[in-house]
Amino acid sequence: MKRLLTRYADTMSHISVFIGHSCSILFFACIAISALEVVMRYGFDRPTVWSTELAMTLCATAWVLSVGYVTERTRHISITMLEILVSPKVWRLFRLFQQLIAFAAIFVLTLALWKPALKVIGRTEYSGTAFNSPQPTIFKVIIVVGCILYLAQLIANIIRWTQETQEDMPSGN
Amino acid sequence: MGIEFITLLIVISLLGLMALGVPLGVTTLTVSLATAMLYFGERAGFFIVAANVSEVLHKYELIAVPFFVFMANVLERSGIAKSLFDSMAILGGRFRGSVGVQTCIVAVVLAAMSGIMGGEIVMLGLIALPQMLRLGYDKKLSIGIICAAGALATLIPPSVVLIIYGLAAQVSITKLFAASAVPGFMLASLYITYILVRVRMNPSMAPIYDIPETGLPLFQRLKYMKGVILPAILIGTVLGVIYSGVATVTEAAAIGAVGALIVAAIQGELRWTMARDAMRQTVLTVGSIIWLVLGAVSLIGIYNRIGGGEFLRGLLTGLDVPPLMVIVVMMLIIMLLGTFLEWIAIIFITVPIFAPVVINLGFDPIWFGVLFAMNIQIYYLSPPFGPACFFLKSVAPKGIELQDIFLAVLPFIALQVLGLFLVLFFPQLALWLPAMLD
Amino acid sequence: ETFNIQTSFNAGDFSTQYLTETWLPKISEMTQGRVEIIFTPNGSVVPARETPEAVAAGVLDGDFTSVNYFAGLEPAFAIMGDLISGYDTPQQMLGFCRDGGGEAMMQRAADEITGGEVHVVACGPYSRESLPARTPIRTFEDLEGMKIRSPEGLAAAVFQAAGASPVSIPFSEVFGALEKGIVDAADASAYVNNDRTGLHDVAPYPLYPGIHSMPSMQFTVNTEKWDTLSADDQVALKTWWYDAMTAMTEEVSKLDAELAARDDAADGIEVINWAQEDRDKLRVVARSQWEAYATKSALAKEALDAHIAYMTQIGLFEK
Ligand code: NA
Ligand code: NA
Repeated sequence: MKRLLTRYADTMSHISVFIGHSCSILFFACIAISALEVVMRYGFDRPTVWSTELAMTLCATAWVLSVGYVTERTRHISITMLEILVSPKVWRLFRLFQQLIAFAAIFVLTLALWKPALKVIGRTEYSGTAFNSPQPTIFKVIIVVGCILYLAQLIANIIRWTQETQEDMPSGN
Repeated sequence: MGIEFITLLIVISLLGLMALGVPLGVTTLTVSLATAMLYFGERAGFFIVAANVSEVLHKYELIAVPFFVFMANVLERSGIAKSLFDSMAILGGRFRGSVGVQTCIVAVVLAAMSGIMGGEIVMLGLIALPQMLRLGYDKKLSIGIICAAGALATLIPPSVVLIIYGLAAQVSITKLFAASAVPGFMLASLYITYILVRVRMNPSMAPIYDIPETGLPLFQRLKYMKGVILPAILIGTVLGVIYSGVATVTEAAAIGAVGALIVAAIQGELRWTMARDAMRQTVLTVGSIIWLVLGAVSLIGIYNRIGGGEFLRGLLTGLDVPPLMVIVVMMLIIMLLGTFLEWIAIIFITVPIFAPVVINLGFDPIWFGVLFAMNIQIYYLSPPFGPACFFLKSVAPKGIELQDIFLAVLPFIALQVLGLFLVLFFPQLALWLPAMLD
Repeated sequence: ETFNIQTSFNAGDFSTQYLTETWLPKISEMTQGRVEIIFTPNGSVVPARETPEAVAAGVLDGDFTSVNYFAGLEPAFAIMGDLISGYDTPQQMLGFCRDGGGEAMMQRAADEITGGEVHVVACGPYSRESLPARTPIRTFEDLEGMKIRSPEGLAAAVFQAAGASPVSIPFSEVFGALEKGIVDAADASAYVNNDRTGLHDVAPYPLYPGIHSMPSMQFTVNTEKWDTLSADDQVALKTWWYDAMTAMTEEVSKLDAELAARDDAADGIEVINWAQEDRDKLRVVARSQWEAYATKSALAKEALDAHIAYMTQIGLFEK
């Protein structure tokens, strides 16, 4: 059982890091598209109708999907003032509490986002602009995927906590 | 239950969860989900949170954030920032306090290329601090300069703080960028004046510094200009694009990111691994920001629906004081929140409530945004939660403790407060540049 | 009973002030205090696009919103929300809503996306947007080659069909884009608002009365909540809304007309008023785009047919 859990934690962390790294490619694409729009507008006098929405969609997707990576590296912004005030043992308990609260909150958030996501899968929602992409649909689905990644990585972190293998990485930006 | 009581309950639970070290995004999400479900039950409560959370992704201006962060990361990793510092040392010449002044000026130039606070302080902490200490500069003065000047990144445009403010207050980010430039330079000038006055009064704080190149005649020193020219072109391009209105702030940020890569290439520093690592760093930095925004927006939606916004606006407009005093009260509230909250949380908690009041009182929300960003400067430095101090601590030489840093920044906090009051009483300091551009 | 209604107006808008000060007291008067309404600004509780669902779920008691926000949910909302270059005056379109089957059409569209939990009380526009331009566009033919900011689907299609090239940029960038000549004209807002934001300083050839957009609003109430009202109060609510919109239409067009006359008399700004002939030409071109757009859904087609029947009846199209 213990080995199985360790396997899960390691595999999940690998997946999170891989997705996180892949997100950098999406950000690069997003930069390229936005810069290209300026060139098209001034260089060729041909502004596009798609660049804004495409850049937004790629960027938001990367932004949401990087959550596993951020969680794996424990880079969520939090205030750790108490860490210097309490004993390491007590702080270790706090760490568990923080991750359990995060799990509970994101789980409830996933439930809240679930129905809207199913709804747009059943009936596609469009942006209503000139480009009229299914952007709202993508966003409502991708955020659920992001939440699930977040939860999966939190489980991995909690496993590592119980096995005392969770590195104490500094938090904050 | 009255709204006063609910407000108190919300504040207490926010503070409690934060103090226990729960990530801020999770804290606000937890409180908003709990409030929503208690007030509206499952269906309506879930809906209101879900709708507001998904909407965050539709904010086009928000995508300028990763671009500016990436740009700053490239500048740091490619050594552009360091060569800028070295060039400035040689161009600056020799006078008492020259290295301190030069550090301020480099910080301003870097601030014009970076939209977030942190990287600059780390960079200056690694390069300038050992330099100043080696030359016998006063320890506190040196530390103060780096924290205060390094924090200017979010006052001098581009600035992620102003982008998020613009989104929350629904005002033009371009105008905010124009309005914050002069106050940014003003703060830098206050720092420089302070350094010059201090070292004149007490010469032992800053021995005159000699490197061989500064002895050269001016025209020979000019060849060291090349470390300055490329960053200057980059700054000119990005800010020029924004101020001229040629492209959106997001597009300007993309141009800045591409430009930073080009500058790195010209300096022979462009490598795929460098760009890749800069982007991975960006992913981690911005990855946590989005959850803060999601949580804050969701909390605001709920709080407005239960009449909280109306209640707080009533409190503020009900104050029996002159309009300008209401603004002062708002500034004090922001300062107070700044002692323990993250800046994004401060923006999303205060701006939706303050902005309509500011407009009702007949003030310009652009001006208020500048005051806000200046207040954030104070927040960066002030104990106990002073992020700028934490950043410096992370790279400071052994023997420099956090309490040394907190003591060292105190005079600079006084200067920041002075600057804030100058803009408060002379709004033209902020507003003349945007007016000129119109 | 208190109704929490989210509007698509911003806190500082003229319309918010006018409605809150002049018209909110009237509804409590008309119903002897049985109905009180609280307006909240655009996006304050839920994002503008989500109000139908929010009303259905009971998060809001109702909405008073630009219909165009829902164009992505069901194409019929685009046809109902802003029939680009369709009606000449807001009064004509209000007539369509009230007497020409517009309300019933809106109810069908609301049912399509929420399943009967939202009751449409009324609909209609209160202003016609003017079109600020930096280059004179005096006739239909002048549209050829003009770069016009128009983010919405139908507006972009109509401008394109008329020979212009639509550009999609965020609203916040309109001023800069006009100033620098990135666009020749921009879909912005009513004349009074464009005047306040200083657009005419950079775009001194405003087309007024406008030629393109006339955004329609909807007033809805949660069905359960609506059913608790007495028949008298239901009638009162509907009457109140149309009276308020009619009064606001007059107020806005009076302001617009005064400002336009003032500007036209002054140097530096030339207000351009298209001849009826040019408006009719644009309407014919626009109709082909409405028809193309209406193929997106059966409901959109029905909505368009209702429009065209009414427009033919009042003489905007020949029988
Ligand atoms: Na900056
Ligand atoms: Na602080």
